[in-house]
Amino acid sequence: MKINNLTKDEVLRHLLTSESGLTEEEAKKRFLEFGPNEIREVRKTSLSIRFLKQFTHFLAILLWIGAGLAFLSEYLHPGEGMRTLGLAIAGVIFINAVFTFIQEYKAEKSIEKLRLLLPFQVKVIREGREKEIPAREIVPGDLIILSEGDKVPADARLIDATYLMVNNAPLTGESEPVFLNHEPGEEELIASRNIAFAGTTVVSGSGKAIAFATGMRTEFGHIAHLTSAVEAGLSPLQKEIIKVTRIIAFLATTTGVVFFVIGHLIGRGFWENFIFAVGIIVANVPEGLLPTVTLSLAMGSQRMARKMALIKTLTSVETLGSVTVICTDKTGTLTQNRMEVKKIWTVDSQQSTVNSLMKIAYLCNNTRLIDGQYKGDPTEIALLKAAREAVGDLKAERVLEIPFDSERKRMTVVQPSAVSRQQSGEETIYTAFTKGALESVLPLCSHILINGQEIPLDEGRKKETMGAYHSLMDTGLRVLSFAYKEIEKSSKFKVQSSKNKDTVLEKDMIFVGLIGLEDPPRPEVPEALKRCHEAGIKVIMITGDGSRTALAIAREIGLVKGNPVVIEGHEFERMGDRELQEKLSQKEIIFARMTPRHKMRVVSILKEEGERVAVTGDGVNDAPALKKADIGIAMGISGTDVAKEAADMILLDDNFATIVNAVEEGRAVYENIRKFISYIFSSNIPEIVPYLAYVLFRIPLPLTIMQILAVDLGTDMLPALALGAEKPTQEVMRQPPRSPEERLLNLKLLSRAYLFLGPIEAAAGLFGFFYVLNTGGWKWGEMLAANHPLYMQATTACLTAIIVTQAANIFACRSFRESVFRIGFFSNKLIFIGIASELVLQLFIVYHPWGNEIFSTYPISINIWLALIPFAFILFAAEEMRKWVSRKKIRPR
Amino acid sequence: MTYKKILSAVNEHLNAEISARYAMSLARACGARFYLCFVAEKGMSRAGLDRAEDAMKRLFNAALAMNLQVESITETGDPVQEIDKIVRQEKIDIVFASTRREDIKKRFYAGTIARGLSLKLPCSVALVRVVHMGKIQPRKILVPLKARIDHIAERAYLTSKIAQDFGAKVFVFHATKPMTRFFHGEIHLTPAQWEKRLPGDISDFIGHIRKYKIEIEGRFSPGATARSITIEAAAKRHDLIIMGASQRNLLSAVLKGNPVEDVLRTTPCDLIILSPRHED
Repeated sequence: MKINNLTKDEVLRHLLTSESGLTEEEAKKRFLEFGPNEIREVRKTSLSIRFLKQFTHFLAILLWIGAGLAFLSEYLHPGEGMRTLGLAIAGVIFINAVFTFIQEYKAEKSIEKLRLLLPFQVKVIREGREKEIPAREIVPGDLIILSEGDKVPADARLIDATYLMVNNAPLTGESEPVFLNHEPGEEELIASRNIAFAGTTVVSGSGKAIAFATGMRTEFGHIAHLTSAVEAGLSPLQKEIIKVTRIIAFLATTTGVVFFVIGHLIGRGFWENFIFAVGIIVANVPEGLLPTVTLSLAMGSQRMARKMALIKTLTSVETLGSVTVICTDKTGTLTQNRMEVKKIWTVDSQQSTVNSLMKIAYLCNNTRLIDGQYKGDPTEIALLKAAREAVGDLKAERVLEIPFDSERKRMTVVQPSAVSRQQSGEETIYTAFTKGALESVLPLCSHILINGQEIPLDEGRKKETMGAYHSLMDTGLRVLSFAYKEIEKSSKFKVQSSKNKDTVLEKDMIFVGLIGLEDPPRPEVPEALKRCHEAGIKVIMITGDGSRTALAIAREIGLVKGNPVVIEGHEFERMGDRELQEKLSQKEIIFARMTPRHKMRVVSILKEEGERVAVTGDGVNDAPALKKADIGIAMGISGTDVAKEAADMILLDDNFATIVNAVEEGRAVYENIRKFISYIFSSNIPEIVPYLAYVLFRIPLPLTIMQILAVDLGTDMLPALALGAEKPTQEVMRQPPRSPEERLLNLKLLSRAYLFLGPIEAAAGLFGFFYVLNTGGWKWGEMLAANHPLYMQATTACLTAIIVTQAANIFACRSFRESVFRIGFFSNKLIFIGIASELVLQLFIVYHPWGNEIFSTYPISINIWLALIPFAFILFAAEEMRKWVSRKKIRPR
Repeated sequence: MTYKKILSAVNEHLNAEISARYAMSLARACGARFYLCFVAEKGMSRAGLDRAEDAMKRLFNAALAMNLQVESITETGDPVQEIDKIVRQEKIDIVFASTRREDIKKRFYAGTIARGLSLKLPCSVALVRVVHMGKIQPRKILVPLKARIDHIAERAYLTSKIAQDFGAKVFVFHATKPMTRFFHGEIHLTPAQWEKRLPGDISDFIGHIRKYKIEIEGRFSPGATARSITIEAAAKRHDLIIMGASQRNLLSAVLKGNPVEDVLRTTPCDLIILSPRHED
């Protein structure tokens, strides 16, 4: 039993209150017990803690150790420049933390927007007197006075209602107002007609209601609770980055420890081993990876914005590319939300009957024509347009209206009929015009209009009408039925807002006909759906429309081809999770007659089954589903502020095709991230190998730690970003979504970078180093001071070799298998800007005194550059060869 | 396993009266003798006394109307001590008491009557948090369980009897830590896979509930315990949550947090926290 099942007296007894309201003292006590009537955000990790967490993940800890070792070295051997290195590493940690935080940050104001839907002041009766109090002071048991225009402050049970109509859109998503009454009902609490829910608005009439739930315990509070507490979890990219950092941390630590021990065993001093340990950590860690990923996502989001998809969380850019299921609304997203009258049906097909039908469509209509512009509901606009074309402009004074409400599923107006004006004028005859769903209107009718005659409506005619209704629905039309009735003067226009919804004036009506309206599909949608199918993305339609209409539209736009599973809202509510899981695993599925609150369950079950889900929404109560989904997509035009705040992406044109374009961009971004990871990881080998050579062969250190940082955080950055801007290939949307098991850093990618590209670069680096040493007269085993010009030139040559080969590597990394010449050597202009910036930076490092000072470099001659350039060609040619072999291997025979 | 004597602590607050209604339902389902007890604290106002006495009268009449064997006790003094005396004297099986909003504002409810009753009484204690007055007879009861639970028989008995009296369905919910591996990170498991890993205690609990012929459904979800529970309750519109009292000591609660306390603060529906004492 719920409060809506009780009679008025039982309600008063249960809530320990009376028609005089609570006493002030009791209200105060209840305020202390139940707390303020307000919407609060569920406690979350604060922004500062979230930022601090970026300093404690595995990679950061590893770098902290590196920085700690550098500072310790500085303490033990002051003046060796290790303090600068320690500070540089700390800087790297900070930069990484900032960029990762930016990636994950999302401005979240949905709760603020929800709060705006509640009133600030409210009228109540306390101690028998009406008074106005702040809405936050409402407590269970308070007697609230509701009148037109009021926002309802709490969930309250009506004990009195006079023509009370409320707009429940924030809760149900339905814009049509509903009648409320104070009679006990048997429905579920949420569907009850004697409850005024917090966050809804009184459209007309007045009433008194007793609050029974306040603040976060109201239905509106539940939406706020879910919107605030539900989290989608880590994005696929975030998960992958965590895995990558753990692998790197493991590799760096293992290499460091193993070679530290080897160094110790072959008799190197503790101090040298220290330098090695710091160096190996710095060399293994791709310091520029996280900033590059963030910047690449930012660039992706810019490209998406140009395609009308506004991204709110950077990681969502990539998440979009991984979605396996899109749950989409129909109206406005798949269709244009622009109704058109498509078919008219009358039993006799006579023009006079059609005109009568159109007259009802004209008069029983709330669309306003202002300055030639139609203002109103899209369905009513379509009806008025068609009616004006058929019967011209009509004038009539409306004396009564029973507005449409979703329970009655019809609307009735009363107007003086045209016939009465031609009579004496003393006896005005009125006509009631009704339009609505057939199941609502037909039972009210006793006659049917045929050839101008009102013929009794027998079972045969009813069957015929039902048949026509179904056949219109099967073509995807939304069908409305129309009826009228002349009322004599003595009749009362009494509207009953009680359980007996059939008013006197809606009895024994004359049925006229049906009008089928179509919301045309968006022209881009069929192609977009085709692309989804090719890309292995399942699309699920969730609509408030009936199943026949939904199915017909789904067929028309190519969403379904066979016989899909169609589940209606009432069935959905009865289904257990397991049954729903089973239904959702079917290839084609449509949800009809659904309300937005059902969406979160669909999304949750899909996610539990391992799907990566995108869901669209526009209403207030879509917010929890938008938060729960991997990608919540709000409608930019028709969406509420709450939905937009809760979403990860906003569709500026409300168009489904835009989602598909964004998915394509997301997939390209993931591919591009893999490309620049190959690029960045390739340079790890020429950074690590010099350290290994230093330990194993007792040679001077070929590359300093600051020079490693110059590559990782300097010269590599812009070229890597240029790789992040590679355009999506056609193949991107012809592959199934990537498997959750597929790693960002897989063995293939790592082998290519570490065992193929990296060694070529390492060879170039060591060649440059020894070339300079040998031409300078160095003898094997001779140790040079760190500030010896020959040594500095040699390390500069090693660094230059890495830069030169990386310039070729950027072309190599533009594809995994395709030849660069096939994808277009000049198709990505940013590549050339990247290379130019890389070279300019290197020239600064080699030839500018500041560069020399910071990176311990020394100018080298042009001959050294010329000696290194062939390595770039070797790398490029070798990679083209590898790709050729790779293509040959997979080519079908 | 049965409750023969059930006591409900009543005071001047509305939530105590609502809590007593849950106790009465349980008493009816168990065929137990029902005790209403009001302990007037020192310095209590006249108005407060009147309100509490009115509540006692209303509840007494309601209990009679439900054909319960009912006894009304009014004492003065410290509520914990007085109730403790009554419990020992009358051999009460379970005491129902309400938690006040001011209780839950205190961390670990230190120094509250609710905590005093939980710690000191020799019988089981059900602390009730009333937040929603529209759901008079719960139809959907959420029972969050952790992997290892004690007093399984008593927990199942109380849940079943309340469900039986209200004609409610029981939804067992187990929020667990996600499965992780060092290099793999979090491993996704489907509900069917989670079900295969169902802890033995939870299977036992479900078995007990089935013995009472109560309709039951299970759900398993990885995630933060308290948050998952309140999300589940809000999303599925549960009417009542029944969960066990926290067994974490103060230090562990400070370090790891206290899910029960968190649920108490943010529950979207009424909540019963059971500290069972009956031996299985």
